[in-house]
Amino acid sequence: MNSVEHSAKPYWNPYLSGFGLGLVLLASFVIMGRGLGASGAFTTAVATAVHQVAPTHAENNAFYAEYLGDGSRSPLKDWLVFEVLGVFVGGFLSGVLANRLKLTVEKGPRIGKPWRLIFAFIGGALMGIGAKIALGCTSGQALTGGSLLNVGSWAFMMCVFGGAYAVAYFFRKQWI
Amino acid sequence: MSAPFYKFGLFGDEASFIIAFVIGIGFGFFLERAGFGSGRKLAAQFYFRDLSVLKVMFTAIITAMTGVYLLSRLGMMDLSLVYLVPTFLVPQIVGGLLLGVGFVIGGYCPGTSCVSAVTGRIDGMVYLVGMIAGLLGFAEVYPYVQNYAHMTPMGQITLAKLFNLPYGLLVFAVVLMALGAFMAAEWAEKKVGGKEPDPKGSFIARPWRLTPVRILAMGLAAAGFVALVAGDPYRGSHATIDTKDLAIRAGSGADSIQVGQLADWIIQGRNDFKLVDLRSGTDFAAYHIPTAENVPLASLTPDFAAHNEKIILCSEDGTQAAKAWFLLEAQGFKSVYLLDGGLRSWQDMILFPKKSDKTDEAVFDRQMQVAKFFGGTPQAEGTSAPASVAVALPQVAPPAQPAVSEPAAAKVQPKKKKEGC
Repeated sequence: MNSVEHSAKPYWNPYLSGFGLGLVLLASFVIMGRGLGASGAFTTAVATAVHQVAPTHAENNAFYAEYLGDGSRSPLKDWLVFEVLGVFVGGFLSGVLANRLKLTVEKGPRIGKPWRLIFAFIGGALMGIGAKIALGCTSGQALTGGSLLNVGSWAFMMCVFGGAYAVAYFFRKQWI
Repeated sequence: MSAPFYKFGLFGDEASFIIAFVIGIGFGFFLERAGFGSGRKLAAQFYFRDLSVLKVMFTAIITAMTGVYLLSRLGMMDLSLVYLVPTFLVPQIVGGLLLGVGFVIGGYCPGTSCVSAVTGRIDGMVYLVGMIAGLLGFAEVYPYVQNYAHMTPMGQITLAKLFNLPYGLLVFAVVLMALGAFMAAEWAEKKVGGKEPDPKGSFIARPWRLTPVRILAMGLAAAGFVALVAGDPYRGSHATIDTKDLAIRAGSGADSIQVGQLADWIIQGRNDFKLVDLRSGTDFAAYHIPTAENVPLASLTPDFAAHNEKIILCSEDGTQAAKAWFLLEAQGFKSVYLLDGGLRSWQDMILFPKKSDKTDEAVFDRQMQVAKFFGGTPQAEGTSAPASVAVALPQVAPPAQPAVSEPAAAKVQPKKKKEGC
């Protein structure tokens, strides 16, 4: 093997990747009558785990209860859970095919790894909270609701970009 | 073709999980292809260095949007059956801002973090752990903030309804806006990020040759233009009624269900139908068929149930149910049935079946079991059914009676899990 084969292949053109993504979303609408999602699957997983540890606690909490279903089958038997499992597999496949599998930390040159990981944790937590307040994340709200001209999704989308651009300056050292 | 396939019952839950997995693979694949496994590439969006997030997101949105529009307009798809997350304006604004801040700090959104983690990015894995912590934290404080979670509800509403503009016009406007934003993005990448656009994958870079990207843009613009002139994609409440067809079906009696049939279904514990009781709340409280829901006639709006759900209507003698049948058929519901003879038939034939000389012993035995299951009593010939319904009718919940079959009949309709993200 020479070095060319080892190096990661370039990313696809964003418009063409976006077109592919749009067709996947369209297929979901046509086949299932629903769009894509991500955060919902993790919420189901969290609710199931809490229910395992403390059943009454989970059942008394309206938030968990909504994700636990009626108890007739495991709450993990859920459309979004299977979809997100697919996301992991699809991402992995694409990564392998493009030689992009690499244990690394994504960061700019002006920040150390520990700080980057702390920020990743904080950002993840904020996203978890925000997604539940907004009833969806970038997949469930912005992509899905956006293409259905959903009022709340467009308000949400504008606010995601607005919020991000508003604070980007303060976190510039992390990325550039 | 009648899409969405799942909502028309073309396949069941188990198959839907396989489809979910396959769709997920496509989703993850294209996210990774676009480079969204890299937090650095994603975050570059907010420093105008690399506006891939905007380009990928809006290309996906306008592709799916025009696709859904065209399929609906061609009559291949019923857009009113596609789930629309209800709008709660204030929570969605607050949540959106929080997500934006989290995006810059964390570098990912939930979907992209999966792709990032699985391709070896440690920050992506840590992000996922953070997200789970955030979900857990939110869930624990939820009981205290519950009252604010559903503020400013606006229902399931599209921009077209909100602004009272034609749906197609908005589709066209969004396509134009996106294409404009792409050109602005390429310009910004050049000016701020100093990135020379790659002529093969760009709108604005010279030479002016026809590239796949430009063909795609023209295709989307054309689809948007069709939307501008082709009208509203929603059917349902706007459906035109074929009165002749309606009259034939109403006359044929094909849309009615016999009480014995319904009793069997309830005993078997089937829950693939919605039993709607149209009587007053007082009558409903006094007695109703197990699993029935009390819905007054005025509440039968186009969104009271999914259009493809099997609905069985019952009322005292069937007249109210017949009115409701026409109403729902006109609103585009696909399978609406009348309970033949209404509650009166149910009472005479299921709860208090009469034995006459001509009744076969085996048949009556079966009738007795059914009557017992629903808490009624069979009548010998000559004795009339009790005059006062209120006194004689059994309690609402059927007693535990394993005589006929498993007590699944007493089971309430399973609570549907939420469909959104």
